[in-house]
Amino acid sequence: MRRAPGVVSAVLALALLLAAAAVPATAQEQPRMGGVLKVAMIGEPPTLDLHKTTAVIVQQITWHVYETLYTYDKNYTAIPLLAESHAVSDKGRTYTFKLRHGVKFHNGKELAAADVVASLQRWGRLATPGKQFWKNVEGVEAKDPHTVVMFLKDTSGALFMGLARPNNGAVIYPKEVVDAAGDNDVKEIIGTGPYRFVEHKPDRHVKLVRFKEYAARSDAPDGFGGKRMAYLDEILFVPVPDVAVRLAGVETGEYQLGMQIQQDQLDRIKTMPGLVAGIIKPEGWSTAVLNHKQGVMSDKRVRQAFQAALDMEPIMAAGFGNKAFYRLDPGMSFPEQPQWHSTAGGELYNQKNPGKAKKLLQEAGYNGTPVRWITTKEYQWMFKNALVAKQQLEATGFKIDLQVVDWATLVQRRNKPEAWDVFSTGITFNPEPAFSTAAACGWPGWWCHEDKEQWMAAMARETDVRKRKAMWDKVQQIFYEDVGRVKLGDFFGLTAVRKEVHGFRPTNEMNLWNVWLK
Amino acid sequence: MKTYIARRLLALLPVALVVATVAFVLMHLAPGDPASVIAGPDASADDVQRITRQLGLDAPLPVQLVRWYGRLVRGDLGNSIFLRKPVTEAIIDRVEPTLLLTLFATLISVSFGVPAGVISARHHITATDQAFMVAALLGVSIPNFLLGLLFILFFSVWLGWFPVAGYSPLEYGYLKTLRSLVMPAFALGIVQSALIARVVRSSMLDVLREQFITAGRAKGLAERAVVYKHALKNAMIPTVTIIGISFAILISGAVVVEQVFNIPGLGRLIISAVLRRDYPVIQGVVLCIAGLYMLINLAVDLSYILFDPRVRYQ
Repeated sequence: MRRAPGVVSAVLALALLLAAAAVPATAQEQPRMGGVLKVAMIGEPPTLDLHKTTAVIVQQITWHVYETLYTYDKNYTAIPLLAESHAVSDKGRTYTFKLRHGVKFHNGKELAAADVVASLQRWGRLATPGKQFWKNVEGVEAKDPHTVVMFLKDTSGALFMGLARPNNGAVIYPKEVVDAAGDNDVKEIIGTGPYRFVEHKPDRHVKLVRFKEYAARSDAPDGFGGKRMAYLDEILFVPVPDVAVRLAGVETGEYQLGMQIQQDQLDRIKTMPGLVAGIIKPEGWSTAVLNHKQGVMSDKRVRQAFQAALDMEPIMAAGFGNKAFYRLDPGMSFPEQPQWHSTAGGELYNQKNPGKAKKLLQEAGYNGTPVRWITTKEYQWMFKNALVAKQQLEATGFKIDLQVVDWATLVQRRNKPEAWDVFSTGITFNPEPAFSTAAACGWPGWWCHEDKEQWMAAMARETDVRKRKAMWDKVQQIFYEDVGRVKLGDFFGLTAVRKEVHGFRPTNEMNLWNVWLK
Repeated sequence: MKTYIARRLLALLPVALVVATVAFVLMHLAPGDPASVIAGPDASADDVQRITRQLGLDAPLPVQLVRWYGRLVRGDLGNSIFLRKPVTEAIIDRVEPTLLLTLFATLISVSFGVPAGVISARHHITATDQAFMVAALLGVSIPNFLLGLLFILFFSVWLGWFPVAGYSPLEYGYLKTLRSLVMPAFALGIVQSALIARVVRSSMLDVLREQFITAGRAKGLAERAVVYKHALKNAMIPTVTIIGISFAILISGAVVVEQVFNIPGLGRLIISAVLRRDYPVIQGVVLCIAGLYMLINLAVDLSYILFDPRVRYQ
């Protein structure tokens, strides 16, 4: 029997009042068990099989259900989650993972090495980062019920980060689920996470409830790792496509969290008594992806002209409005990642030099062929960034044919090298440069550059952190000299949070374990 | 009469064929595909291609079209790509909110529109008439999504009378359903009531100028009887036609309003389907709505008999 939200919130409110009256002030910050958290999401998850998609919304929902061997601490370095410990042998080419004992799947079965082997193999076969990762994997096998051995072809500096990655991540399903699904979507949504999947009613909600037999780690919470507690009875992920309705819903208490609120609403949120603004810093960087394979942008000088012409301040201001939500910075990694952030090649970022652009265009013999730039209004900032950039570029002699399409069209068309010259997108925050979409050669844009590929490969092999950073500097230097893509600027996200929600950290990944309702 | 209805129902078939073909061709010619949506933004082109093959979308269009006809003949609308269930089932799941919303909105539009039109006609060229018609003009001019957002701001955020958005299914209690539909139904209905009011007014004005009205008045009938018994009944044919049309418009208007109010009806179904290129669902819903339009038209035509005994169908 389900109760209607109105009744629940009324009962909750009453309970809160009573609790507030009864409990002395000091004890109020003790996390409280119970309650239903309703999260207003931007839309529907296209699938609930995390091995099969890089869509962020799927990761945000399902990682409460599925878990990985490793996860990130608060500095975004890998720490064990389902793994207990590991040992390295064979000069860094064999990794032996000990699994934690007593971890249960939602179907009651205990986690065993066979589940890990089956899941990792499927991930290596189907997931975009998994396939990348698997190029270096010789094989993986179960040594005993709690030991998994992974044999690598070469050393790896990104192994743990690869296994920790949540998006399109190496989550562990029960072996039976993997076997039943093969390459198709998993039929049962079963993991080892603190919340258990109950139902997905499209356009209504995805419902999770607390997994009572969850085996939490004993170490203190750290980032996404350590002890995960399911304080909430139930989490409802409700698709609310209209951004104004998401915010209004959080304002009235219909939802407790509203995802992706427009950045210009910050000042309004500050005036709402029941709300706090959760700023996701950083969320990603806005970029114009150039087509290296075919067309006018395959000429390096034209790309350099494109890069030289732009003045990022007005571009980013148009896209994000409030200065609290964007930043001009040349790094492919963010200043929030001190171990990776780099200013290499930074003098080529934000040049505001139309004269240089004109000269380069002349040298390239650019004849006014329209540059086809596909963008979308589904993400307003992409369109606004592109619109301002178009004006700046046209002032230097470029002819820009701005094609505004819906997101589904954009992501399809960008796979066809003959169909476009530039497209808008955002590169989301990525803790491990070796997996950076911004530097990937196989991704649309086909930015493949001999030296860059060598540095990327070396960085993936290298285990010394300092050397890896030096290699990443080289990649970024090439990124600017060869104009791999054109970075426009960093942007931050806005989440509307009701004040009764405690323990919530605004991040791209969005975890709701350790979150409780007052 | 029976043969007439049978003929009209048979005529549904060729129309359905045309609609099915157009829906199929338009959707498949539009750029975008479900595979890239499933794979997500960071997926490589290879992954997208693999999913396309799995979905059977790599076959040439004519082959896919023939497959779609083949399934249609068997009454099978196919399976949704994203919902992992048959399209027929997906549609049935979503009919309840849309049907209730449309009926509720029609009720509102008729109960505001018809009296407003009649009163305006009775008080032709007076301040009352002008006031009603200005209001109606305003009503026709406001897009229903804007009205919806204004309602949310006023009645939910400021006054707190109604939930901001969402739908409570009948199984949780009729009153809750009603409460969740009040704002969306008004947002939809008000706009249509303006249209109805204008049509009722003009057809009433026509009828009121007829000789039999003068005759009625001359033989001493009360004005009330003249207007409501004789004039209104004769003004009903254009009125019923416009109510029928408006009901059909409301179904499509529900697409927008369901999106704003987060109601999981047919409108949301088709919008999500279009954004994700869930071809079978789009085709199924379009076909379904086209069929509904035709049935409404038939019902309207048949209702003429009730208002005008001279109408005969053979």
